[in-house]
Amino acid sequence: MTASSIGKEVKVTGASIAGIVSCVPSLQIENDYFFDKFGEAVVNDAVKMIGVQKRRWVNETTSTRDLCLHAAKRLLTDLEWLPDTVDALIFVSQTPDYRLPASACVLQSELGLPNGCIAFDINLGCSGYPHALWLGMTMIQSGAAKRVLLAVGDTISKITNPDDRATALLFGDAGTVTALEASENDVSHFVMGSDGNGYNNLIIPKGAFKNYAVESDARMNDKNPSFLFMDGAEIFNFTLQSVPPLITKTTEFSEKNTDDYDAFLFHQANLFMIKHLIKKAKLPTEKVPININEFGNTSSASIPLLMTTTLRDQLKNNSLQLALFGFGVGYSWASASIKVGNLKVIETIEL
Amino acid sequence: MSEFYEGMAEVLEVEVEQITPEFELKNVDWNSLAIVSTIALADECFGVILNGRALDLCKTIADIENLIAAKKA
Repeated sequence: MTASSIGKEVKVTGASIAGIVSCVPSLQIENDYFFDKFGEAVVNDAVKMIGVQKRRWVNETTSTRDLCLHAAKRLLTDLEWLPDTVDALIFVSQTPDYRLPASACVLQSELGLPNGCIAFDINLGCSGYPHALWLGMTMIQSGAAKRVLLAVGDTISKITNPDDRATALLFGDAGTVTALEASENDVSHFVMGSDGNGYNNLIIPKGAFKNYAVESDARMNDKNPSFLFMDGAEIFNFTLQSVPPLITKTTEFSEKNTDDYDAFLFHQANLFMIKHLIKKAKLPTEKVPININEFGNTSSASIPLLMTTTLRDQLKNNSLQLALFGFGVGYSWASASIKVGNLKVIETIEL
Repeated sequence: MSEFYEGMAEVLEVEVEQITPEFELKNVDWNSLAIVSTIALADECFGVILNGRALDLCKTIADIENLIAAKKA
């Protein structure tokens, strides 16, 4: 892929981030948990590459919606936003409570948001956060909303096969909520694209309304089709081809240089991949915060979780020019070049 | 090729002297982690992005070098 074909470029004005709260499960799983199942040497080899030292997992009864509900309550309280001032709520997840109805509708009621609130779900994973920012800010720019909540997260631990080494160690659970508000002078730039040719490299083959033909796909012969299937080499390949041109296009479109950014936030896909991308894109390592060691790959939640953990103090006290990059399942990718800071509320809480 | 051979020795956890075109991958654990590392290595050394499934079918170092040569052409 070249920079010119990497995606749709969109500029959005008049909206900014007012606060972010992430909620992670209190249960922490360390790597020795997997020793019995896979063997210590195998686990250590995998960890060397993926870089995950620990991850948070929900219990049986807790869902992504629960994590987001908890985060949203804290966010509204600390921002001193009355629920009836929220005009829209978007829930971005691949692990909703039900196949229907939309979890956003359930959250609307639980949070006491007004009936005049626009609420719907979006089915995206690793690329979901920049997409959500673009859509929420566009709603504000259009005049449809003044205050928008973006509930973004996943509980991938519920859909990984505990016997599959490729996925069981990698993923963690998290739910985040970002508050957007109208603000006159802000300008954000987004680049977004997709390539469905890679749809079957990260997929749950069975469980919705069509069964993927696993019998004619040799990679899935010995896999349970009700769990997440990941072809790691293909995903890595896709990332190497798409993310470097996405970085180039994002800085070009925003008319900025690498030096103009305070930080580059990558979806925390896997440590080896992030390190390779930093090297390939010639980015200064100190400007690329990483927390996959602490939380694993948390799907669409990984970028806001980086903001509320590693960047928390900076975003509370300063204004930062950030570049955000999400990429993965779909394939789908999106970036945002955005100014964020002096946030009244930026917290990580537990449930 | 030496940078690539050094990298392959590291990926396969063998001495660099052992890496020759005839080196057989069945003698090491040619698993998904090794394949992903090899994709990264070829990108670093030659600026080519190899296909994971094609790498999975490689039997020797020469097979990998052929994939790289085909990508460069």
